[in-house]
Amino acid sequence: MATRRHVLAGLLASSLPRLSWADAGSPTFVAAARDATNAFALHGLSAEGAPLFAIPLPARGHAAAAHPLRPEVVAFARRPGAYALVIGCASGTVLARLTPPEGRQFNGHGAFSQDGSRLYTSEVVAETSEGRVGLWDTRGYLRIGEFASGGIGPHELRRLPGSELLVVANGGIRTDPEDRSKLNLDAMRPNLSYLAPEGELLEQVELEPEYAQNSIRHLALAEDGTVAFAMQWEGDPADPVPLLGLHRRGSPARLCPPAETEAYAMKGYAGSIAIDAAGERLALTSPRGSVVQLFAGDGTPLATHPRQDACGVAAAAGGGFIVTDGGGAVSHLTDAGMRPLQTTAAAWDNHLVRIA
Amino acid sequence: MLTLLRAAAALALLALPARADVATAVEQVILPGYAGFTEAARALETAAEADCRPEALRPAYHAAFDAWMAVSHLRFGPAEEGGRSLAIAFWPDPKGSGAKTMARMIAAEDPAVEDPAAFAEVSIAARGLFALERLLYDPALTGDYACALTRATATDLARLAAEIEAGWAEFAPLLLTAGQPGNARFLTETEARQALFTQLMAGLEFTADQRLARPLGTFDRPRPERAEARLSERSLRNVQLSLAALERLARALAPDSPQTEAGFEAAGRLAAELDDPALARVGDVQGRLKVEILQQRIHALRDTVTTDVGAALGVSTGFNAADGD
Repeated sequence: MATRRHVLAGLLASSLPRLSWADAGSPTFVAAARDATNAFALHGLSAEGAPLFAIPLPARGHAAAAHPLRPEVVAFARRPGAYALVIGCASGTVLARLTPPEGRQFNGHGAFSQDGSRLYTSEVVAETSEGRVGLWDTRGYLRIGEFASGGIGPHELRRLPGSELLVVANGGIRTDPEDRSKLNLDAMRPNLSYLAPEGELLEQVELEPEYAQNSIRHLALAEDGTVAFAMQWEGDPADPVPLLGLHRRGSPARLCPPAETEAYAMKGYAGSIAIDAAGERLALTSPRGSVVQLFAGDGTPLATHPRQDACGVAAAAGGGFIVTDGGGAVSHLTDAGMRPLQTTAAAWDNHLVRIA
Repeated sequence: MLTLLRAAAALALLALPARADVATAVEQVILPGYAGFTEAARALETAAEADCRPEALRPAYHAAFDAWMAVSHLRFGPAEEGGRSLAIAFWPDPKGSGAKTMARMIAAEDPAVEDPAAFAEVSIAARGLFALERLLYDPALTGDYACALTRATATDLARLAAEIEAGWAEFAPLLLTAGQPGNARFLTETEARQALFTQLMAGLEFTADQRLARPLGTFDRPRPERAEARLSERSLRNVQLSLAALERLARALAPDSPQTEAGFEAAGRLAAELDDPALARVGDVQGRLKVEILQQRIHALRDTVTTDVGAALGVSTGFNAADGD
């Protein structure tokens, strides 16, 4: 339904002088946070992690997707999400509010098409956790359709670089629509699904049966088409399973274990994953283990660095990674280690999203 | 509700000045704990050199394991570097990796036992206290090679203990100067307090959800063979010593926490009344019930500590660690 707000948003987007990301102070990242007064906001951050702007959110946020051309981000609610806000980063205003259709819930992630005309949202059918990809026309942020995500409980959804194809991490976990409790841990089957922009399932990758309880949740995309995926282990915590996997279309997935001595450092839980600008390093964060693990681009484990409640991670502009944590720090991680850049009063939420 | 209000009221007083909690925990609990472990591990090494026979070594072995239990819950800093705490105590080991690796070493008479540097590269699963437990309590493991393996393992354990203690000489000042310029490890005092709080909570969870839960299994399928250190019949003792160590840490962090103290006292009393050293009776109804009651008590204690100690320190479980997404 085209509500008045949607129509207005569409008019605003099309009739105002064309704003660019420079008008928003050229943030390099956006991230959701809880501030010292327990209010939630989406923050724009400079390349060095300095806060540039903050826009209030109605509830706890999760990931965001940046429009490729316009200084707009869609900030997604934490799962099960009842809202997504389209925020004009130059004006600091809410341009549109997306509400999932009846019986659907947002799952915290989304992606734009290459030209920015379409937004894809990761969603579930609330009652069954069956995955859906919601389609939105970004001229007025109107719902134009949906298709199956290829599995249960999709989480991160990304568009492959230089392509219109989508890759979805179907986490495999059926959750209670009200309280997020997990309902099918003995029968979960996560997968990585590649979808055409109209919804056709092009390729689907499952893990070996012994890793069926390794929920595929987050993605990092290399320019060469490699998809790195981060997992959360729902099986016996005494089993030191790999939490990083690599996949290229047409090949089986390859899991990348850490060094034996670091096998429990992540406590079976990767919160976020990122690939650096050169495509040579992968970083996985674990707020439960309060560490960040570094891997080479081919999955060779390199190092484990402590950082309390570390969760958000994204490629830094000048090499290495920016890491955000629940204690308010913004840090720069390189092969040399973790260097603090900022300490803020914000509890940084998952995720740190690089803008273009 | 009252508890929640109390916690909220305590959290409102968050503007805390530099306080003694972290310093007390580090100086009066943690550092003496590691010193005690180094000493006990060194004594075990000396005893093994003098006489590697199991019956001769067992007292020194138990003393070293006891000393480890005082610090085993501290899973950060030097104990985590290079997987040291895993190399000291690799449990749980559901796939039996430690026993398998050790069997291979014995079959091949692996020469790593002659060279401490080579032995330090042996799988973490096949070193430490649980490797020694097999050597001292599995009657199948005898002979000259087993003796050499016992000595090499004891030497390696003493090295690990000394390295952790030496590492803490540098790590403790980082905790104590949290938030000061140049301290890149702990950026605020809150981080230092939260790090210690996390060790306390994780320690309680490990005892309830691993030490007790693994042998409990399910009602239909109890798993007494999965109890920690059952060969040496230390399963219950480890539970008791772990609770005692966590109580010392809690008391150092939040001295005026009567509910927490009462919770530890109650859990300690239930454990003392168990009279089931290897938790072997989880298979019979009465024995199982007692272990379940202890586990419930520790779960309740964890909740008490969350509000009580968490409020006193002005911290909670990490924003993202608690999130799960």
